[in-house]
Amino acid sequence: MARLSLRGIKKSFKAVDVLHGIDLEVNDRELIVFVGPSGCGKSTLLRLIAGLDPITEGEFWLNDRLMNQIAPSRRGIAMVFQSYALYPHMNVYENMAFGARLMGLDKAEVEARIAEAARMLRLEPLLERKPRELSGGQRQRVAIGRALVRKPQLLLLDEPLSNLDAALRSEVRLEIARLHREIGGTTIYVTHDQVEAMTLADRIVVINAGRIEQFGTPRELYETPANTFVANFIGSPRMAMLEVERQGERLVAPGIGEVAPDRLPQGTEKDILLGVRPDGMTLTPGADGTGFAASVVYTEYLGDSAFVYVSMAGGPPISVRCGPETHLSPDMPVRIHVLPGKAHYFSRSTGQRLAI
Amino acid sequence: MLSSKLTGRNLWIAALVVPPIAFMSLFLVYPILSAFAYAFYEWRGLVRGDFIWFDNFYRVLFEFPFSERTINAFSHNIFVFFALMVLQNGVGFLLAYCLWRELWGARFHRVAVFLPVVLSTVIVGLLWKLFLHPLFGAVNVSLRAMGLGFLAQPWLGQDSTALMAIIVANAWHMVGFPTLVFLAGMQRIPSEILDAVRMETESEWVKMSKIVWPLVAPSATVVFTLLFVGAFNWFELPYVMGGIDGSPHGATDVLGLYFYRTAFGSMSASAENFGPGSALAVLIFLIIAIVSSVITIRLRKREIQL
Repeated sequence: MARLSLRGIKKSFKAVDVLHGIDLEVNDRELIVFVGPSGCGKSTLLRLIAGLDPITEGEFWLNDRLMNQIAPSRRGIAMVFQSYALYPHMNVYENMAFGARLMGLDKAEVEARIAEAARMLRLEPLLERKPRELSGGQRQRVAIGRALVRKPQLLLLDEPLSNLDAALRSEVRLEIARLHREIGGTTIYVTHDQVEAMTLADRIVVINAGRIEQFGTPRELYETPANTFVANFIGSPRMAMLEVERQGERLVAPGIGEVAPDRLPQGTEKDILLGVRPDGMTLTPGADGTGFAASVVYTEYLGDSAFVYVSMAGGPPISVRCGPETHLSPDMPVRIHVLPGKAHYFSRSTGQRLAI
Repeated sequence: MLSSKLTGRNLWIAALVVPPIAFMSLFLVYPILSAFAYAFYEWRGLVRGDFIWFDNFYRVLFEFPFSERTINAFSHNIFVFFALMVLQNGVGFLLAYCLWRELWGARFHRVAVFLPVVLSTVIVGLLWKLFLHPLFGAVNVSLRAMGLGFLAQPWLGQDSTALMAIIVANAWHMVGFPTLVFLAGMQRIPSEILDAVRMETESEWVKMSKIVWPLVAPSATVVFTLLFVGAFNWFELPYVMGGIDGSPHGATDVLGLYFYRTAFGSMSASAENFGPGSALAVLIFLIIAIVSSVITIRLRKREIQL
């Protein structure tokens, strides 16, 4: 059982403010992912929760207990570090037993817990090995095992996949998802990779420049991004953004064209950002017709589909998802159409989402 | 095949390598080898006599009065080694730990701890002789000022405290060296490992004994070996503080002093006695060479890859 409550958390390193007031409520058994660009403060927030750095301002509650002044080892929290941080002079068994023994568990209990963790993580044949004799993926599993042996209320994972190669990464990702299902504890996972975030999380916290941009399920983040930052950060390739002007029922992009979408934002704001994901647009060859005028930059062929990158009036390339049969040569003029129900609207002044 | 051509590059290499090798041979290899040779001859003053096999060694090790003094000096060297192991390396480790944890004033203390190391041994010896002076030395004056006058001792004048007093002076002088080596070892420990320990315990003792010490132990190899060599070559400090005879009554006598007295003569040993002196020199060399190799090999095995 672990409910987590962050209330107005601020963190400064000397004169530099890193976190500007984080409020967050996490339910029991949730897998929460902190995601954001590097330097956004997500790892700092994790270290505050772990207790490795002191909280400058605000309160951190774990199960109705104020944690601010409690030592990291007494919080009931275990952490898996980016570099795994295994003790190099201890073998796998000792690495896992070290923390468990320090908790004051008796010998039989320590052994039982290690046996269970070793079974779950398939570490049995490795128990006698030293960390340097293990591969990256094996070290990763030992690090997770060491955390699980302590049966923490809260498990923290700091970019656990970043030191693994691409093939291993998706494998370990599945492993972590399976473990979370099996153990069911509350877990916080930090990553800068939005794919990891989308695939693993129950709910995602998008952090940027020390603030929470949005907190919600992967689906909410993808379908109703709260602002342009989240819209750009979640989803790959990125959402296309176009500055348009609202003229009655039409959205006009000067010099590019106009569309008449099925739904328009509420309110009367005229200067709008129109956001459409690659799968929310279609494309017709030729310079004439309705929609926005664009020219082809290049095509990425992916087998089951193709992403066509086009540029509108010399702007940055945006991607449109097309069928695999699409053949368009560079500089060819095309027209872009927005599919029904696929448009997102943001305020040009604040970057916030405009309700439809 | 060794090329016989002396090209420009080879000439350069030869020009750079030959002088140091010649220097080493002349001033290191040759004296050691000749000391080996001298130890097997009978000597009358500086005149070489007959080849007498192991007689000199036998005299030094088993014949009165040589044997008694040898054993006395040897046991002092062993005591010095272990005492310095605790006082110099042990304290050095603790100092390094404090400096590493950035306790208050760490920057100042880092310099302060290392400063005595650069002082000449002779100066340190004289300084501590003054500190330990029974009447107006800083140690006894301070003790009296604190009302602990009953603890004031003639530190260097009685055989119960003389050796220990010199050992303390040596530890004060050299403690900066192990401190520096241990500090470097500690700073090499990845910070995430230290964070990982903090997640599991808040006990400073567990952190130090179970994590930091084992990870720093590789740097201990060099410190231990050098301490052993230093302890068995101990000469300048006891010479300055206790004199060539290891006074009082041989309480500060060590192999270095004893060898010097025997080979080159002194008040107590009167004339120079080159044969037994050389035999002692060879024995000291062998002890140091064998034991320090064993220490190095044994400790190397425990070294850990971070």
